[in-house]
Amino acid sequence: MIKRYAALIRNAWLVDLQYRASIVLWLLWGVTEPAIALGIWWAIAGDGSVAGYARADFARYFFAVMLINQLTIAWDSRPLHPAHEAVAENIAYKARTASVILVVWLVVTVAWPAVRLPFDPGRWAVTAVAVLLAAAMRFFISFTTGLLAFWTTRATAIMDLHAGVSLFLAGRIAPLALLPPAVAGVAGMLWFRSMLAFPVDLLTGAVHGTDAIVRGLAAQLVWLGVWVGAYRLAWIRGLRRYGAVGG
Amino acid sequence: MTFRIPHSAFRILVAFWRLNVAEELQYRANFVASVLGTLFSMATALLTLALFFHHTTTLGGWDYWQIVVLLGVFNALTGVIEAVLRPGIGQLAGEVRSGELDLVLVKPVDAQGFVSFRRVDIWRFTDVVLGLGLAGYALFRLGHTPSLAQLAAFGLSLAAAAVVVYAIWVVLMSLAFWFVSVENIAVLFDAVYEGARYPASAYPGALRFLFVYLIPIAWTTTIPASALTGRLRPEIALVAAGVAAVAFALARALWRAALRRYSGASG
Repeated sequence: MIKRYAALIRNAWLVDLQYRASIVLWLLWGVTEPAIALGIWWAIAGDGSVAGYARADFARYFFAVMLINQLTIAWDSRPLHPAHEAVAENIAYKARTASVILVVWLVVTVAWPAVRLPFDPGRWAVTAVAVLLAAAMRFFISFTTGLLAFWTTRATAIMDLHAGVSLFLAGRIAPLALLPPAVAGVAGMLWFRSMLAFPVDLLTGAVHGTDAIVRGLAAQLVWLGVWVGAYRLAWIRGLRRYGAVGG
Repeated sequence: MTFRIPHSAFRILVAFWRLNVAEELQYRANFVASVLGTLFSMATALLTLALFFHHTTTLGGWDYWQIVVLLGVFNALTGVIEAVLRPGIGQLAGEVRSGELDLVLVKPVDAQGFVSFRRVDIWRFTDVVLGLGLAGYALFRLGHTPSLAQLAAFGLSLAAAAVVVYAIWVVLMSLAFWFVSVENIAVLFDAVYEGARYPASAYPGALRFLFVYLIPIAWTTTIPASALTGRLRPEIALVAAGVAAVAFALARALWRAALRRYSGASG
């Protein structure tokens, strides 16, 4: 199985290589939103701080958002695409784009030490786990919403709606700590925090204490389970419906 | 019968649009979906702005409702982009790649004009109405009644903004002649245009320089909104028109060079 995956990932990597310029463009598109958010918070923070976030904190936060967003993005998972091939394509794409962001971040830390992350291999290992869980969850969310195409021709509108909500609740436009407490609470109760904000806060060190980390990971596991369940349900019902229409 | 190119080009366009509109009118549900989509994206933009202003009172020297005026302008321009530019010239990169552009070039009309305006997605024009409506409401909240000069400056700079945006699309699509594999080059526009959501003065110096002088998106939203709210003197609209003229001329020159390259490659 591992060998097969290695072959699939290698294949996807080679296919990607032919479209290097395209990938650079997608990457650029992916980092624009956090870059602009950073620019605005940068202006607002000025020489002071906003709810405890100074300029360097915002920079660190949004660099982490760019990195973890690229690592967890559910890229183009078409509903009828064989899942394993989709996963391999996903991994090859992420490896490429995330390494670009990592290199940029490293270059920036040389010129500007404030955005450096404290050296903490234990935290990085936990973050890696959280990133895996978040990536799996986003993959199943995207797959499930894609499956809605069995029922409605406007599945993409539902995806857009989800993306719009996650702009705030997943921490894409601001750290959750800057949202009104009630909104941040909703983000924590639903799956949005687990998608992005939690792994980002883990990486930057905003989440600390074993208790908070364990609770965050547990929430990720629960929501992953829920989305896997939703995916299976949608897949079975959808196929039945598709068969009924076709037959 | 005398045969005059500009006149016939115009007739062809009208014929295309008529077919186009007839086709779109069959799908009226798209109208509702388009309006709902626009309202949703306006709501997200306003909420984002509200979040920023939860922590500050001004952004780049603009207060909340002034930026809402700018967001209205942004939405109106988005309508023009989605209605005309993306369905028309936005398809070009793919056609260069597939060779379908040949079918356009053999037509006895100006290729740039034809490619640019061959197709309109009429429902997206509602974005223009909604955007201007939002700008109007924000002006009302500001308690600012624009003078006649300000309105004229707004109209002129908004037209200039549309020309600048069009020129950026032409430049990007012309680049597709050199970098054939970048079928998704339109995302470069989307990425840069995101920056036009906020006044240019809100950005750090280097980025501001980029937006004013190199990729002139500051002229697309900041200047019309400034003219309308009276932040800048109405004469700025003349400068905007000049910028638009230069951008258009440069884009046209690049387009010509690109076409020469394309003919060379296929011939």
